[in-house]
Amino acid sequence: MNRRSLLQGLSFSMLAAKLSGTSSLYGQSEEPQPKPARTISANDRIQVGFIGPGSRGQELIRQLLRTPGVDIAAQCDVYEPRFAEVNEMVGKKVPACKDYRELLDRKDLDVIFIATSPAVHASYSIAAMRSGRPVYCEKTIGFTPEDCKKVVDAARQTGQIYQVGHQMRYASWIVEGVNRVHSGEIGVPTHVYGYWHRSDNWRREVPNPSLEHLINWRLYRETSGGLLEELGSHHIDIANWVFGEQPQTLLGTSSIAVYHDGRTVGDNVQAVLGYSKGRRMFFSSLTDNGLMADQLWVYGTEGSLQITLADATLYKRTSKTITEASHSNVVQKGVQTGASYTTDSSIPYRGPGQRLNMKRNEDPTLTACIAFMDCVRNKKQPFANVDVGFKSAIACSIGRDAMYEGREAKIPQLTA
Amino acid sequence: MVNATLNTATQLYCTTHPAMGTEYSLYLCAASREEAAATAQPVFDEVDRVDALLSNYRPDSELSRINRQAFDHEVTTDPETFRFLATCLTWSERSLGAFDISVGKLMKVWKFFGDSGALPSQQELAAARAAVGWEKIRLNPEQRTVRFLAPGIELDPGGIGKGYAVDRAIKILRAKNVPAALLSAGSSTIYALGAPPAEAGWKVRVPSPYPEGGTISTVILRDTSLSTANLSEKNFTHEGQFYGAIMNPRTLQPVRGMLQVTVISKSATDSDALSNALFVSAAEDRAALLSEQDYALVIRQPSPEFVHQDAPVYEGVRWPSEVAHHRLAELSFAKEKENI
Repeated sequence: MNRRSLLQGLSFSMLAAKLSGTSSLYGQSEEPQPKPARTISANDRIQVGFIGPGSRGQELIRQLLRTPGVDIAAQCDVYEPRFAEVNEMVGKKVPACKDYRELLDRKDLDVIFIATSPAVHASYSIAAMRSGRPVYCEKTIGFTPEDCKKVVDAARQTGQIYQVGHQMRYASWIVEGVNRVHSGEIGVPTHVYGYWHRSDNWRREVPNPSLEHLINWRLYRETSGGLLEELGSHHIDIANWVFGEQPQTLLGTSSIAVYHDGRTVGDNVQAVLGYSKGRRMFFSSLTDNGLMADQLWVYGTEGSLQITLADATLYKRTSKTITEASHSNVVQKGVQTGASYTTDSSIPYRGPGQRLNMKRNEDPTLTACIAFMDCVRNKKQPFANVDVGFKSAIACSIGRDAMYEGREAKIPQLTA
Repeated sequence: MVNATLNTATQLYCTTHPAMGTEYSLYLCAASREEAAATAQPVFDEVDRVDALLSNYRPDSELSRINRQAFDHEVTTDPETFRFLATCLTWSERSLGAFDISVGKLMKVWKFFGDSGALPSQQELAAARAAVGWEKIRLNPEQRTVRFLAPGIELDPGGIGKGYAVDRAIKILRAKNVPAALLSAGSSTIYALGAPPAEAGWKVRVPSPYPEGGTISTVILRDTSLSTANLSEKNFTHEGQFYGAIMNPRTLQPVRGMLQVTVISKSATDSDALSNALFVSAAEDRAALLSEQDYALVIRQPSPEFVHQDAPVYEGVRWPSEVAHHRLAELSFAKEKENI
């Protein structure tokens, strides 16, 4: 049974309920609820309600604990062992519940963080916005194309602050790198190549086989968009940022090459996304060989930008790059070729590289949390707002099915 | 450093993992190599997590963030890092400043940061003086913030970080009900969890401070830790004078005349910090640093000047096992003959 046929027999709310162990959620969450009375002033501590403190969620909590003026006030997870883990991190007992509606019913919360599986991002974040709170939701903003649209609609209707977990937009070196690209330093950017290669089977330890799908939700199509969504969405977002638009098409492939362990999402992905004017983004993810690690290249007509999780480096064309007319075969190092090509000229093409030295290389997730709280205090929309979230999420959502079905997909565009 | 006799159902496995500039080793009994590797994985994940939190070699660590920002403004940090810093300051207070994580700048001017050391200039030492001192670190428990009262302060967890990582990693093993294991952080800090089957504890050999020196004492450890501070890892010699990478924050100089301090304490964090504090402390201050449950074996040169050929002096502040005095003395004489 593929994801689509499964979803045809299972409404979204049922899926959400299946994951959370609760009854139908989606319809109820659309009901407007009273807004919390509290106005947050500059010196108030912001009370966070946190939904989904799993592995990524706990990293978010760790950074929230480093964010000035913030308290983790309540937590919610369908998997109870998380509560003790959160209490250990926070250093005190944080009120806990298993039903996210119970958390939203609390009157002492100012903002809601959501780090559940993406299958329930839309329903939870829409309900949270309708409860009158700003929302920080991990990417992607929605699992299905309909989800993505509904989240945008809810954010526009409620006017709530909504920030998506595209924390790379808050990395100082990435901001600087993209600004340099936009200022023309590498000419016209035409291609973005993203690599996210790991040596990691992506499988989490499961204490009881009945919890397999709950804990290893990333491995199953019903709950996960696989590597394209979980990792590629970050790179797609950077490509969107560089190109100043969302992708129009996606052609990709995914297979299980190594981990034949019952998972239904691929353990490798290759995807090409089309942008206007023939511009392209390529994304590759492997999970059995981490050689390229997580790095992204922006190629322009006059140079390149390399972005990693730690730094960014500009490469300019050098004058040593020479293209000459050639009418005879060139033999070099035993390689015979008829092209006007020498290895000498290919090597210095990148130039020596100019690392962008930033004064502060803070963790992007921390910077994203600090920026979100600043938006909450000053009633501003975030840089990684709901539109940004839509433009990467829609590509992943549409692309997921297209990859499984081996066709090129047209990606719906965000409308004003 | 580990001897264990095991029953036939299980075998002793050793899993190693590079972290914090050294190699961590986990010894445990398991039915298969795969089982041992599976048990070891979360232990080393935890070591890596602590490294990512506290490393002053990683610009993205929480400690590095504090180093960059805490003079400019108060830095809010997470409870774990805050507790760690509070523990460090407690040790500074207890040891009258002999233990001090604010020696980062000092380590740098002496070129012990990522290098094997070299003499600093007078200007460098003067700059370091202003940037060293645990009293210049302010912790605010109400707001969970850190503030430096002087510019240039850099925290260096070298005297306690490995011990803390060992304690955290052992917590993982306890949570998984692993009955017996021994975790070693490059042999400088060890924790012995439980005991191997049919044994009273893990047999651990304390090595001589000299590279060729063999064993000077053998102890049986169970649910306790052992840390050793010596100058074997980073050092240099200039005009016949030997300089090692344990700094005296008061004199701004490497400690001289000390060879090795080994401490046994219930907590690996404490034994790591205590071994370094004793290494730096004046002789008359050492006994007061030990709690009733702690043991310490101090080995020093007879004179404050570090002369490698001198016969060492032992100060068993409190030690549970025999010490092979004669072996080290013989070795010392042998070395002298060689030099002749």
